[in-house]
Amino acid sequence: MTLLLGALTIGLILSLLAMGVFISFRIFEIPDITTDGSITLGASIAAILLVNGVNPFLATAAGAVGGALAGAVTGIIHTKFKINALLAGILVMTALYSVNLHVMGRSNVPLMQAKTLSSQAEDLSEAWVGGDTLSIFGWPVASTDAALLLMAFTAAAVTGFALYLFFRTHIGTAMRATGDNSQMVRALGANVEGYIILGLALSNGLVALSGALLAQYQGFADAQMGIGMIVWGLASVIIGEALTGARSLGLTIMGAIMGSILFRLLVAIALRWGLNPNDLKLITALFVFAALVLPGLIGKLKRRFQPAQPHA
Amino acid sequence: MLEIQSIRKTFNPGTVNEVRALQGVDLVIEEGSFVIVLGMNGSGKSTLLNAVAGSFFVDAGQIRVAGKNVTKWPEHRRAKLIGRVFQNPFSGTAPSMSIAENFALATHRGRPRGLGWALSRGLMDPLRDRIAGLKMGLENRLDNAIGSLSGGQRQALTLLMASWLKPDLLLLDEHTAALDPKSAEQVIALTNEVITRDKLTTLMVTHSMPQAVSLGDRIIMMHGGKILHDLQGPEKKRLRPEDLIERFNAIRAREQLDESAADMLRKNYI
Ligand SMILES: Nc1ncnc2c1ncn2[C@@H]1O[C@H](COP(=O)(O)OP(=O)(O)OP(=O)(O)O)[C@@H](O)[C@H]1O
Ligand SMILES: [Mg+2]
Repeated sequence: MTLLLGALTIGLILSLLAMGVFISFRIFEIPDITTDGSITLGASIAAILLVNGVNPFLATAAGAVGGALAGAVTGIIHTKFKINALLAGILVMTALYSVNLHVMGRSNVPLMQAKTLSSQAEDLSEAWVGGDTLSIFGWPVASTDAALLLMAFTAAAVTGFALYLFFRTHIGTAMRATGDNSQMVRALGANVEGYIILGLALSNGLVALSGALLAQYQGFADAQMGIGMIVWGLASVIIGEALTGARSLGLTIMGAIMGSILFRLLVAIALRWGLNPNDLKLITALFVFAALVLPGLIGKLKRRFQPAQPHA
Repeated sequence: MLEIQSIRKTFNPGTVNEVRALQGVDLVIEEGSFVIVLGMNGSGKSTLLNAVAGSFFVDAGQIRVAGKNVTKWPEHRRAKLIGRVFQNPFSGTAPSMSIAENFALATHRGRPRGLGWALSRGLMDPLRDRIAGLKMGLENRLDNAIGSLSGGQRQALTLLMASWLKPDLLLLDEHTAALDPKSAEQVIALTNEVITRDKLTTLMVTHSMPQAVSLGDRIIMMHGGKILHDLQGPEKKRLRPEDLIERFNAIRAREQLDESAADMLRKNYI
């Protein structure tokens, strides 16, 4: 049960990452590897502020702002200096590795003693529930675990809903159209470059927010924690699309959240069954590869093995 | 009102692919005038429209729209003054977004976009009316992705979008060329209706002689990046398709003459 709760909580926290990747990858069709750096940046900024006694909400928000700035830098390098989007992301991700080490002053910042959102949630749950276990559907659950899950759920639900509302505003609609048909958006007077910069800032802001929450949940920030997170986000988005069919904006955002949770659960189960943790990134990468290639391949095979259509 | 002063544009200058697409174009279009642009393939018609719209900056000359010097303005800034319909039905609409959302974008052409709700009631009610006016049965499909519509329907909607906020200048580049004859006819009828009703200053490129003689109040004929003929007033009114074809043939004959002369020179001197 603890395992399930943990997987759910992390899945919800990383759903913010998935929503960020949804923006860069699905709206702008940019596989934005800045993600790997900005999730760590969010964690680093939040961690160092928390260690210094800053209010957890402020520290978390500061982490998100840091990520948004990193995303904006990628956007500016891509649009103003006409550098390929993937390369722009690689440059910023690489630079962020040093930035993150500077922010933290070392490669790992533990948060065991600090007052964090997680510790506050735990304190609250102890104050309200009193005892240290409560029963959910008959299962005994540590009340602190439940509180953390509730915190992650609130973060994911609020962010997802806010994102949905944003994409239904004039600015949000124009941003979505930018990825769909930039020529048209330009002809209708919107600054395409500005929207790409804004979109990547928003994307990486969400990613960094996810990182800040993750650091508080796991109790440390680490310079290595971002490696491969873009692929993790892609996997979540793809699973989400398979779950919901990506038929509408609301469903797509819900899908990213559900995809992230499901993916985390699958990983937890696989690890439980004895999957070597070292193989995790390899398998994630293979999964995304398969998810990107298989639909086209299946279509091709279907056409090949279908009896030839009689000519009209 | 559009004022173009000796604009030039060379693509890929200094390379083997150098193309002098505009070689000094002067053109003044009065407010409310509907101008047809004719010319053979590669004569610079699209380049002229793109230069005005700001798809690129011209190498020399000046462009003024509605009295404003827009020569150095980026495309998205000029869009405040200019409405456009492209040749390709896929270019003018965002395919995966709904009809209503596409119009939400068009209603803010060149205006600041805030955090207001895009599909407000203030938009939906007039939108349903105007789209019902097309008589294409699209008023009940405002939530459908615009990519699911036919090319003719999309061009009709793009035209409506481009003229939703009355533009100071409307640019149409062969906007019916990719359509079947029946849809083309529909879209042309709509074009004429919108332009006449709102008295829009318009530049319309076409290859259709019947369209050229029946629409507009002025014809310019381009060749080799320049304006070769400029027909207006009674002369334009009297024009028949045969007259235009004659002029095209004259251009072709002169080109062939040039080519055979060049051939002769080549044979004799090289
Ligand atoms: N972006 C570009 N880069 C390089 N060359 C270009 C570009 N756009 C146009 N040209 C060249 O400029 C010349 C004029 O092209 P333009 O598209 O204006 O012709 P057009 O009159 O619109 O012809 P059509 O009737 O075929 O549409 C052509 O030789 C074309 O190849
Ligand atoms: Mg053309």
